[in-house]
Amino acid sequence: MKLTHLVWLRRVGAMVLTLLVTSFLVFSSLYLAPGDPVAFLVKGRSPSPDQLAAIRHQYGFDKPFLLRYWDWLGGMLHGDFGQSYQLHASVASVIGARLPSTLLLVALSTVLIVVFGVGLGILGALRKGKGVVVLVTVGAAVPSFTAAIVLRSVFGVRLGWFPTVGTGSGFGDELHHMVLPSVALAITFMALVTRVTRAAMLEELGREHVEVVTSRGLPRAAVIRRHVLRNALGPVVTVSGLLISGLLVSTAIVESAFGMNGVGSLLVTSVDHMDFPVVQAIVLLVVAAFVVVNTAVDLMYPLIDPRVRAAT
Amino acid sequence: MTVTIRSRRTAMAAATALLLAGSAACSGKAGSGGSGSSANGSDPAAGKTSYTLTADTGTPKGDLDSFTWSIFAEPPSLDYTQAFDYPPNQVLANVCESLLRWNPDLTTSPGLATDWKNPDPKTWVFDIRPGVKFHDGTTLTADDVVASLSRNMDPNVASVWANQYRNVDKIEKTGPLQVTMHLKSPDSTFLEYMAASPGTVESAATLSADGKDYGGPAKGVNCTGPFAFQSWQPGQSIVLKRFDDYWDPSLKAHSKQVKFTFIGDPTARVNAFQTGEVDGGWMVPPGSYAQLAPNVYFGKSTTVADEVVSNLSGPLGDPRVRQALLMATDRKGIINAGDGGVGEIADSLVTPDNWNNAPDAQKKAGTTGLPAYPYDKAKAKALAQQAGVHGQQVVIATSPLDTQTTIITQAIAQACTDIGLTPKIDTISADKYTALFTDPAARKGVDLFLTFWYTSVTDPLDMYSSLETGAYSNYGSYSNKDFDAAFEQAVGSYDPATRAQATQKAQQIALTDLPWLPLYFEPVSVYMGSKITGLKPSIDYLYYPWAAEIGAK
Repeated sequence: MKLTHLVWLRRVGAMVLTLLVTSFLVFSSLYLAPGDPVAFLVKGRSPSPDQLAAIRHQYGFDKPFLLRYWDWLGGMLHGDFGQSYQLHASVASVIGARLPSTLLLVALSTVLIVVFGVGLGILGALRKGKGVVVLVTVGAAVPSFTAAIVLRSVFGVRLGWFPTVGTGSGFGDELHHMVLPSVALAITFMALVTRVTRAAMLEELGREHVEVVTSRGLPRAAVIRRHVLRNALGPVVTVSGLLISGLLVSTAIVESAFGMNGVGSLLVTSVDHMDFPVVQAIVLLVVAAFVVVNTAVDLMYPLIDPRVRAAT
Repeated sequence: MTVTIRSRRTAMAAATALLLAGSAACSGKAGSGGSGSSANGSDPAAGKTSYTLTADTGTPKGDLDSFTWSIFAEPPSLDYTQAFDYPPNQVLANVCESLLRWNPDLTTSPGLATDWKNPDPKTWVFDIRPGVKFHDGTTLTADDVVASLSRNMDPNVASVWANQYRNVDKIEKTGPLQVTMHLKSPDSTFLEYMAASPGTVESAATLSADGKDYGGPAKGVNCTGPFAFQSWQPGQSIVLKRFDDYWDPSLKAHSKQVKFTFIGDPTARVNAFQTGEVDGGWMVPPGSYAQLAPNVYFGKSTTVADEVVSNLSGPLGDPRVRQALLMATDRKGIINAGDGGVGEIADSLVTPDNWNNAPDAQKKAGTTGLPAYPYDKAKAKALAQQAGVHGQQVVIATSPLDTQTTIITQAIAQACTDIGLTPKIDTISADKYTALFTDPAARKGVDLFLTFWYTSVTDPLDMYSSLETGAYSNYGSYSNKDFDAAFEQAVGSYDPATRAQATQKAQQIALTDLPWLPLYFEPVSVYMGSKITGLKPSIDYLYYPWAAEIGAK
């Protein structure tokens, strides 16, 4: 077996283990939460003992905890995420109906973060002016819900350029609906990536070998591309990876603000209603996204920096 | 027995208050309405303090192809046995019908039953309307009524309306278009509930064919209302289409289609009203009344904001302390600050409209001459001093659900301080707050919490049933033998006058004992954009096909 195969196996093994441990933690922690899901299922009415027993049985609350976990895990492996307590449908269909708009939101924000974050960072490092620094400081300080309020009232309500609620139908309309939410979601992250890119670039620019190649008369563009940017990309990719995998969690506020009803806002309402199966599935989805993105970042390193490839 | 928990109105609990405040500052329009400003200057940002109830918003000039309506949350299901809350009920009201109809003036009239008789106190006989079509084209029969109503008694269905059927022994078909219900004991409220969800009729064939999927996004429902279920895109919208074979020509829908969109965030909802992306919606966030004027209308309601005393063995155990607390509460200030000035100080736990079915004389007696607790801090303090509770701690549970809740909680805490108690505000999450209504363990250590309580039928007994000894929603375990006797007498009397008198007696006792503190009546609020008209604003929107009356302006 080749060494790289072993590395891969180890990675996949770690991924599975992470998911398994997380699944147990998520499953058990929700049962420690205050309140009884049955109380939510009866919705404030006066159930008879018969009814309570019927509800408990119907949702399997009368089974021991470990057995419930085992049933749940088994179901997951078969692609059955269970039945939502709150909504009258399977968890897979509840999440499936909301996932596309959330993924589009995350994808658009990712593009904004990478293109503008890195772009502005480079600009900030190469230009002497303070403009970018000020922009970054302001951007990093704007929470996404504030950005959402301002964008919505200026570009939605006052100027009427963009819709203020919903997700639209048809790709063009969906994109139109998604512009303001993705900007609101991306702003803070964009500023952080800009800051990291600028710092990394400045550090590389000050390095001896850059001065050497510059003094040898290599064109500035080539110096920047081959000697500065390439070396600076490591930390930029790491930070971007972390931020982007966190996007899924951050969508809740933006989705609520723009009446989008995606996975983020679903998570919040599900927590609110102790809809355990939905919460568990979303949390696992988020963890999986983290693991996948970070693995992708790991795999990108050797492509950026040949020295990393040599080491593994 | 209907609780408005309101946690669902604002899922993004913590962010809501900020968003609300932010939008008032950001979205340019200044308060346009409201001339009469409040006397003491404790006026809210909204700035509007005068309002009138509108019974009818006008006659449509013509029909519409479609209009869009916002709901603050997605209905969990459209199964009528699970329909207890604003989101499912305001949709279902247009699709499914009950034996009786609850009208905008809060009276009841024949619905799917043309007539009903009460040959003896334990029997109700309903004659079913002939020639009524379900949305799938089949014809309504007694079998459908028996199957639909009986579901409320099936423990496996776990109907949220099971309690309304507690006195029902058997429901049987006694003719092709006749259904007889046998009660275990006389129950004068049972008939009233036949105008609400408990009286809903669905096709028996659909119920057995759809099984567990009944009422969900894939199957929807098959009823007899002026609109039929068309589609449900989970997380986004429910679309209804006009039903051309509807039996009642007076309520034939003016619009070919209605689209309900789910918008949880209050500010997003207000913005959607302003940009015209949404044509209307019930429950307008109070902070935006002025901003949305003159397109906000107020209507009859059965909602009272109450502070529930959930611990009658603590410092609030002495009725004098509860009376003092109510007297020290600045209820006018709460209405101005928390509800944009829209509301009336409540001297009862039910609204005057709850008496609409009682004979005039009894209605008058039930709504006047009640124990009054005018705002008087000095008198309140003296009363509390007599009870000797000075310095004792009172825990007020709250959750950052909306601005009203926060403002009311602060006012109650202030009133506690004013009468010499030491208030402690316990801020809990929305789900934990919801648990206060269902879980005795969650109420442990809590003395007071806020609710907006509405009745699902025009009857004070719907509310007062919560104060009977041992009742599920008797949160403070209040027990008064005289109250129980009066309440039972009212439930058991079919004679309207006797029943109203017994109800009055129960009400007098409750308002002297104050197991709950009535704060204010809250009217129904609705936004209607400039393209539509015809709506009759009223709390009956939970059971009456209001969307059918909306047409082009």
